[in-house]
Amino acid sequence: MKSIVKYLALLTVTIFLFAGCAKEPTEEINAAKTAVTSAVSGDAEKYVPEDTKNVNSAMQAAEDELKVQKDKLFKDYAKAKELLAKAKADAEALQANLATKMEEAKNNATAAQDAAKASIEEAKGLLENAPKGKGSMADIEALKADLKGAEDSLAEVQTAIDSKDYSGAAEKANAIKEKATGIADQVKAAMEKVGKKK
Amino acid sequence: MTLITKNTAIKILILSSLSIFLTACKDKQIPLELKMVEKQEVNLWKSGAKIYVPSEYNQYITSINKTKESLIKEKSRFAWFQDYENVQSELKNVLATGCSLENIISDKKKIKNERIFEEISFAKNRIETIKDLTEMINEGRLARKDLIKAEILLSEAVSRYNNHDYDTAEQKLNNLSEYIKSSENAILPILNRYADRSHIRKWQEMVDETIAESKAKGIPAIIVNKSERTLKVYKSGVPVWTYNVGIGRNGSLDKMHAGDNSTPEGKYKIIQKKPESRYHKALLLNYPNEEDRKNFIIAKKKGLIPAKARIGGLIEIHGGGKNSMTYGCIAMDNNKIDHIFNIVPVGTLVTIVGAVDYNNKLSSAIEGL
Repeated sequence: MKSIVKYLALLTVTIFLFAGCAKEPTEEINAAKTAVTSAVSGDAEKYVPEDTKNVNSAMQAAEDELKVQKDKLFKDYAKAKELLAKAKADAEALQANLATKMEEAKNNATAAQDAAKASIEEAKGLLENAPKGKGSMADIEALKADLKGAEDSLAEVQTAIDSKDYSGAAEKANAIKEKATGIADQVKAAMEKVGKKK
Repeated sequence: MTLITKNTAIKILILSSLSIFLTACKDKQIPLELKMVEKQEVNLWKSGAKIYVPSEYNQYITSINKTKESLIKEKSRFAWFQDYENVQSELKNVLATGCSLENIISDKKKIKNERIFEEISFAKNRIETIKDLTEMINEGRLARKDLIKAEILLSEAVSRYNNHDYDTAEQKLNNLSEYIKSSENAILPILNRYADRSHIRKWQEMVDETIAESKAKGIPAIIVNKSERTLKVYKSGVPVWTYNVGIGRNGSLDKMHAGDNSTPEGKYKIIQKKPESRYHKALLLNYPNEEDRKNFIIAKKKGLIPAKARIGGLIEIHGGGKNSMTYGCIAMDNNKIDHIFNIVPVGTLVTIVGAVDYNNKLSSAIEGL
């Protein structure tokens, strides 16, 4: 009889060991949540959308696993911990990657802005020195208006940079540069023509 | 012996219960469809489901979440009682919905691609047309600034279109249409005169009267057509020479006052021949004539011109080149003014009109807008 009681006690202890000893990994949950919250942002969704989605999915998978274990009689949080660690690592990698990507994009935008400015200045200089005869007045006026329009658009590049829309800024700056270069080429061609006539 | 047997039997029973119990902790395999759904969801997200089928995509996500809830519930059960049949069936439904969403997105993208392509071509043509018109009427200052902004936005739209970012491309196209409109507004008041039938009729009458006088009196006459940029020399009512000319910077408009750089419209006469001019040779016209003076006074009274404006003068037909943009005069190549200078005397009729045909260059161009 004593033995029966002994074995039953062993069985109960074993069951409780399985069922009760596994506690929710609060520390890991909080660490992963903090990492994910600080990594996932509007900028992240814009610059590294796939990575952001992956981080969200990783966190969701960890939370799903936590839910599974929470409702289980015999809890085992080993997999959940693994998934939480993965979500945290992914979030940290995302944050690092985002910073690099944004810096890269910002540098691209600034370089494109500088190039556009330089092209406008070049075209301006050429227009200043363009032959100012009656024959070229119409063309010069039209080109000056073109250049003014392109120069005005430069302000939008800065606005885009300020709002962290670096790809949009670079795109606009490249378009402006293209137009300014076109204007400069037209002035050069006109100057060559005049030069030949002389 | 009986006791040992009994104890052993109990031990075996408890141990086997424990081992069965532990075995039962091992979960059953979850349906393979789950991975497929996860993959499908990522693909849908990548293909822009949020943009193309937002509400359908939300429903799809809700279905996935519901199915996952069912899955979690089943996974939480004691392994013996786990049954994924319903979950599997739900997952299959989600997959079917996802498939149909993929097709819808693909169709919508195709339609949008074609529409944006057409809009880009349309904007390109409109910009080109307006650009040509600004060159035709020398109106580079007001219209071109906005036109280049439209061109810049068009470049951006094309770039987005090439990257399959149709939404942003569409946004850029919407923005550029404002600039196109503004450019059009800058040139339309100038162009509309050339499509106005009453204006053209008046110009036709002036030309007819001049030709008739040339014929009746057997004298030369000059007709300048601003829309065609031509100068025709008539002898006894018969056109004998046609030359290309340049007109004022705002030459497409009728001259109202000094400094407006417009070329006057009306019936004039050569009042002086200048063999030595700043622009090679020149034929001075009697601008302003009586009608110009009347119109000037009316315009001033109506406040259409600055109060301090003067009527101006010194409108000539001169050399300097047909591509010239003048302050209101009519410019031609030097060898051509040499020729005219020799054949027309002081007193020759010079009639300057905007157009003589209803379907002139500028009225046709307006139709292109």
